[in-house]
Amino acid sequence: MTTLKINGKQHTLNLEPETPLLWAIRDTVGLTGTKYGCGIQQCGACTVLIGKRPVRSCGITVGEVAGKDITTIEGLSEDSKHPVQLAWIEEQVPQCGYCQSGQIMAAVSLLERKPNPTDQEIDRGMLNLCRCGTYPRIRKAIHRASDLLKEVS
Amino acid sequence: MKSTTMNRRTFLKVTTVAGGGLLVGCSFSSPKLLSTPNDVKEDLGMWVRIGTDDKITLILPASEMGQHAHTGQAMLVAEELEANWNYIQVVTAPVHSEYKRGSGQGHFHSSTSQGTGGSSSIMDWWEKLRHVGAGTREILIGAAAQKWGVPVSECKAKNGEIHHLASGRRLSYGQLADAAAKLSPPDNPTLKSPDQYRFLGKSMPKLHTPARVNGTAQYGIDVRLPGMLFAAVRQSPVFGGQLKSYDEAAAKAVRGVEAVVPIPSRFAFGSTMGLLAAGDGIAVVADTTWHAQKGLEAMDVKFVGGDTLGLNSSKVSEKLRSTLNDMGKVDVDAEKVLEVEYEVPFLHHATMEPINCTADVSADSCRIWVPHQNQDRCMDTAKEVTGFSEDQIQIHTTMLGGSFGRKSTKEYIEQALIISKFIQKPVQVIWSREEDTQHGSYRPASMSRFQVGLDKDGIPVQWENQIAQQSSHMIKTVPPLRWFNFDPMTYPASVHDGMIFDLFKKHFYNLKGVKMSHTPVDFGVPVGAWRSPPNSINVFYTESVMDELAHLAEIDPLEYRIKFLTESPKHKAVLEQVAKQAGWGTPLPEGHGRGIAINDWFPLDEDVTVVAQVAEVSITNRGKLKVHRVDCVVDCGLAVNPDSVKAQMEGSIIMGMSAAMFEQITIEKGQVAQSNFDDYRIAKLRDAPEINVTIVESKASPTGVGEPGTSPVVAAITNAIFAATGKRIRKLPIGRQKLI
Repeated sequence: MTTLKINGKQHTLNLEPETPLLWAIRDTVGLTGTKYGCGIQQCGACTVLIGKRPVRSCGITVGEVAGKDITTIEGLSEDSKHPVQLAWIEEQVPQCGYCQSGQIMAAVSLLERKPNPTDQEIDRGMLNLCRCGTYPRIRKAIHRASDLLKEVS
Repeated sequence: MKSTTMNRRTFLKVTTVAGGGLLVGCSFSSPKLLSTPNDVKEDLGMWVRIGTDDKITLILPASEMGQHAHTGQAMLVAEELEANWNYIQVVTAPVHSEYKRGSGQGHFHSSTSQGTGGSSSIMDWWEKLRHVGAGTREILIGAAAQKWGVPVSECKAKNGEIHHLASGRRLSYGQLADAAAKLSPPDNPTLKSPDQYRFLGKSMPKLHTPARVNGTAQYGIDVRLPGMLFAAVRQSPVFGGQLKSYDEAAAKAVRGVEAVVPIPSRFAFGSTMGLLAAGDGIAVVADTTWHAQKGLEAMDVKFVGGDTLGLNSSKVSEKLRSTLNDMGKVDVDAEKVLEVEYEVPFLHHATMEPINCTADVSADSCRIWVPHQNQDRCMDTAKEVTGFSEDQIQIHTTMLGGSFGRKSTKEYIEQALIISKFIQKPVQVIWSREEDTQHGSYRPASMSRFQVGLDKDGIPVQWENQIAQQSSHMIKTVPPLRWFNFDPMTYPASVHDGMIFDLFKKHFYNLKGVKMSHTPVDFGVPVGAWRSPPNSINVFYTESVMDELAHLAEIDPLEYRIKFLTESPKHKAVLEQVAKQAGWGTPLPEGHGRGIAINDWFPLDEDVTVVAQVAEVSITNRGKLKVHRVDCVVDCGLAVNPDSVKAQMEGSIIMGMSAAMFEQITIEKGQVAQSNFDDYRIAKLRDAPEINVTIVESKASPTGVGEPGTSPVVAAITNAIFAATGKRIRKLPIGRQKLI
């Protein structure tokens, strides 16, 4: 048995400790906002936060994160009004949208580390793949989210 | 704007729905049940449902894969319906003849099947969906007039309500829905004039954006059914190979594994007359995706044989070259002669959502949830595998996590059906990324030779062009094409002169002395539509060659192109506009260069979208390439949702750039050498250039935008590399080719 704390809620799961966190989240806990893209930590579609750190959940096991604070896209806000989500809506970022949960989680974490990121810092910090090519809008939305976060605080 | 011949398709039929409200259907067979995984019983009618709570549900024919087709199609209905946009919700249509496209609007490439592709979701439905909206609006007005006892002419629809102008009374659509359902809709409703548009031509927020930023958007991979199991699949890595051995006991020893299901070789494309055998496969079924994948690993599956056994990429190139040689060179007698060969590789779609399908087959019915571009193919596949009739089968199209042409094949639907039938439970098949990469429907590999002779003014007097290319599935599935060894997908977007009994519209470049021929080559590698077939190949060829000729003639590449656009004023205007926007001819820093290219879509249609792009690149003194800026001008008729058009151009530019710079599928030992994003590199955020898109103002009927932005950028980049360094790229991807 493993206990995962996801979005503030405890889940006691009958899983082998080597189960990738991604599949525990999707298939066992049933939160499907976190996506499978590659399984080898290349694409970032499965990005979640462990504490404030962005982690590709396909590459970490439930054994490694038991008891830690895990945040998925569903736990980012109750009303889709996290400043990063608002910025994503204002800039109309998503096309197919499949990678966007991961992009948003990566952006949230980037803004924690760099509240006023330059384009170069965004280029270096945002390594998630998007096949639809929403990158120019992601850049804009991160700058906008940076402004929104300052208004909030 | 084009007017449409009224036919029975535009007649509406209305009915009340249990619990109140209005359903707008059509004049023939009754609507089928349409459902979502959460609510399988809700009858949504054929086109429009207006609830007494004012909520409006639109049933739309397009698959939504990121091209914002749902939003665009909803705008067509909502505009004429005078709906309140905030009350609009949408679902993808079930399978029904009423949703077949190509209903007589004359697009060369739009088949009459129910499906989405060819960038045609707006143009195929431009007339029909506006008529649905207008007809519904008129019965709502009629219902209000009846209630108030006033003439229809005194009532007006506005933002989800009918107003009685003289008395100031008003009723919402929800309040009128029951009464409207008792009225006969008009045969020929009046459409708005463009100056009355509230939505069309305005950048409306995309309907699915909220769900796409909070994790609630449902893709195929997110479907969950009670008692559902998960399946991992392995198919013969050599295309067409057979299953040799596997250790079933080892798989079943893995925790959670419930079954092992062999999947015999079937056919990947079209109907069973398709000859592209995908090869044998085998599935492991378990309680979670992870356990299924582990079971598959443990099973030590081995395959033998196959159509591509012994094939590798150098053999592909050799065969393409020897095919060109067999076609033979010609003698070109001219002042100056260009003789060059170009080559492009197989490409993969690499959608972020891997291939998947969920199926639930019972004794007398079957349900499928699948991210798919072609609902007819889903239905045909279900009928073939289960033997059921159409009324026993339900096809639910989920949102697609990217497609670009990939999610149109049938093999993954077959797998889910075969497995569900075998285990007698619902199952979700998810391909691993490795499986997805190694079993694509790839953009064909191709090689082309040009021999062009110029007169003393630099004008081509002889244009000889041969193409050797992996044949598309069309040549195999359409008998007349097979008899003549003619692959129609080779021609469009190459410079041709209308040839083949004048079947084809002439190319936009008015060139003399053009002779073009092709020879299909079959390597046994499955190929299909990759965003903008065949432009993704031919525009690179022809726009590179135009650039080479301009330099040979010592004429500016922009000026040179314009010389041949004498009969294509729209193309000329777009090209000139993008050049102006990009500052064509103005000085650039050392090591920088600009390249220009143009294409249209779909090349054989009467009404085309024209896209021209200018790329600015730099090459460092260590040979490193960077694309700094891409300017893009698009003329697509009326831009229904300008921000969607812009998004499609941005995304296409990045996908085209990614293909030009990084992407290739290579074959080693008969199988695809790449397996995941570590060796199939696609563009990252840091690669994305500044992109400036301008949409030409137009009142013409809309044409497509999903694909035509993908191809010019490729040649624009390689032409820019030449401008910066004098190095001509004739083989893609640019990859690690030496640029200085």
